[in-house]
Amino acid sequence: MFTQQLMNALAIGSVYALTAMGATLIYGILGILDIANAGAYLIGAYLGWYIYYATGSIVLAFVLSMVAVGVLGILIQKFIYSPILAKPNTLSIIPLVAAVGLFTMSSDLVRLICGPYSLSYNFDFGVTSIRIGSVVLVPAWILIFALTAVLLLILWFILNKTKLGLAWRATANDTEIAKVCGVNTSNAMALSYILGYGFAAAAGIMVGILYNSITPALGEVPSYKMLAIIVLGGLGNPLGTVLAGLIIGFTEVFLSAYTSIPIPKDAIAFVVLIIMLLVKPEGLLGQKNKV
Amino acid sequence: MLEIKDLYVSYGMMEVLHGISVDVQDKELVSIIGPNGAGKTTLIKTVMGLVKPTSGQILYNGEDITNIPAYKRAGMGIGYVPEGRRVFGKLTVEENLQMGAYELKDKAQIAKNIEMVYGIFPRLGERAKQLASTMSGGEQQMLAIGRALMLNPQMLLIDEVSMGLMPIMVNTCFEVIKKLNDEGITVLVVEQNANKALKIADRGYVLETGNIVLSDTAENMRKDDTVQKAYLGG
Ligand SMILES: Nc1ncnc2c1ncn2[C@@H]1O[C@H](COP(=O)(O)OP(=O)(O)O)[C@@H](O)[C@H]1O
Ligand SMILES: [Mg+2]
Repeated sequence: MFTQQLMNALAIGSVYALTAMGATLIYGILGILDIANAGAYLIGAYLGWYIYYATGSIVLAFVLSMVAVGVLGILIQKFIYSPILAKPNTLSIIPLVAAVGLFTMSSDLVRLICGPYSLSYNFDFGVTSIRIGSVVLVPAWILIFALTAVLLLILWFILNKTKLGLAWRATANDTEIAKVCGVNTSNAMALSYILGYGFAAAAGIMVGILYNSITPALGEVPSYKMLAIIVLGGLGNPLGTVLAGLIIGFTEVFLSAYTSIPIPKDAIAFVVLIIMLLVKPEGLLGQKNKV
Repeated sequence: MLEIKDLYVSYGMMEVLHGISVDVQDKELVSIIGPNGAGKTTLIKTVMGLVKPTSGQILYNGEDITNIPAYKRAGMGIGYVPEGRRVFGKLTVEENLQMGAYELKDKAQIAKNIEMVYGIFPRLGERAKQLASTMSGGEQQMLAIGRALMLNPQMLLIDEVSMGLMPIMVNTCFEVIKKLNDEGITVLVVEQNANKALKIADRGYVLETGNIVLSDTAENMRKDDTVQKAYLGG
């Protein structure tokens, strides 16, 4: 039972980490809270569903949906956020309002195009469960861990081991000076969007598989829970986001499994966030003084 | 080498440079002095492409660079040491230097240039793997200069190198600048610390509220009554 919960918590934590990663990468480099990431998550889940039923391939569903949503991210950055941020003295509330608008629009578009009802993923893994000793593993969990691990490793590699990643980190740190060094900073921003939106799309499909149901409201809870996770992780810090996603996943699963605290599951993230901010206001891995 | 012609710059509705002309000859060390808010940083940023002028021209080696985007100016041979150092605090010392060499493809050349910078500032070599934000102000200033040297620039633009540094570090920085100039790098320094800036310079300009009000050889400027009163505490 305990191991079961542990696996479940890991799976949910992974999905949270992946969902919030997009927002983290974007905040890290543009300093805006892109709630529209939750729209990417929703659209990713639906695209994945259609691709799966059209092709019968899980792999294609993930790959094509991630690429398509990643490209959508670049378009949104180029045609919506960039022009907004290019205006002198843009108030930071303006991109936030744009993000909320984009997210609402994506939910309504999905509702209009795909219908207001829920769709079942019914991914067929061939087996319903895998038994190792006394532990029963659900195939969806394994898929989620494995894929999350691979995606996060790729992200880590790009950010820390490539010139592109160095340029990304420099741009996130000081955009003007990165420019002077020769970085085409709008490419670094595009990297945030293609990875961020792509990851959100993968997370959407994972959730569809995990709960076997997607609805046009799929993005609502993540749209605000994501904020708790990225703030908890220390705003703009990718590693912090992974930790925060796991912490929230674990807290939710274990509190609902072993206690009877009368707060709704989705509020737990915020309780954790509030406690955390009282103890360590800069977040898990945030820096006190930004340089 | 660098020629700034009749440059006007505004932030929104507010014009802060009202038709500035400055030129720097090959191998010269030129200082622009002036009080806080005169527009010195704005002038340098405009040369780097970080601020767009409303009119006027910037020529570098005879080429008009006024409308070239900032990131495309990096490989042209101008090194920039920004006001307030602006090192990448979340990157290590070595990564900061690699960013300085972002335009270079050849890894061996990058490694060689990093060693060259460590030769000038041994302190940086000792701290290669340390995050830049954890270093002292003086060390960060060395790093900012080192980063600007990574592409073997023909010219350095140095904004307020002495700001917030201990006197001993200020001297070190000015000595290094002088030495780099002696080795053939053209230098444009903008400074509130007029004393130091005019001591090492060949020529100087005084910038006040967006206008050049005086330009002369550094020697004459040091003797000039108004300059003495206003900037040299004499
Ligand atoms: N980003 C900016 N937006 C608006 N006004 C600015 C900006 N940067 C500088 N200024 C204004 O332009 C003038 C010149 O500033 P600056 O170039 O920093 O002068 P200095 O470097 O000589 O101290 C000042 O009045 C300053 O307030
Ligand atoms: Mg200044």
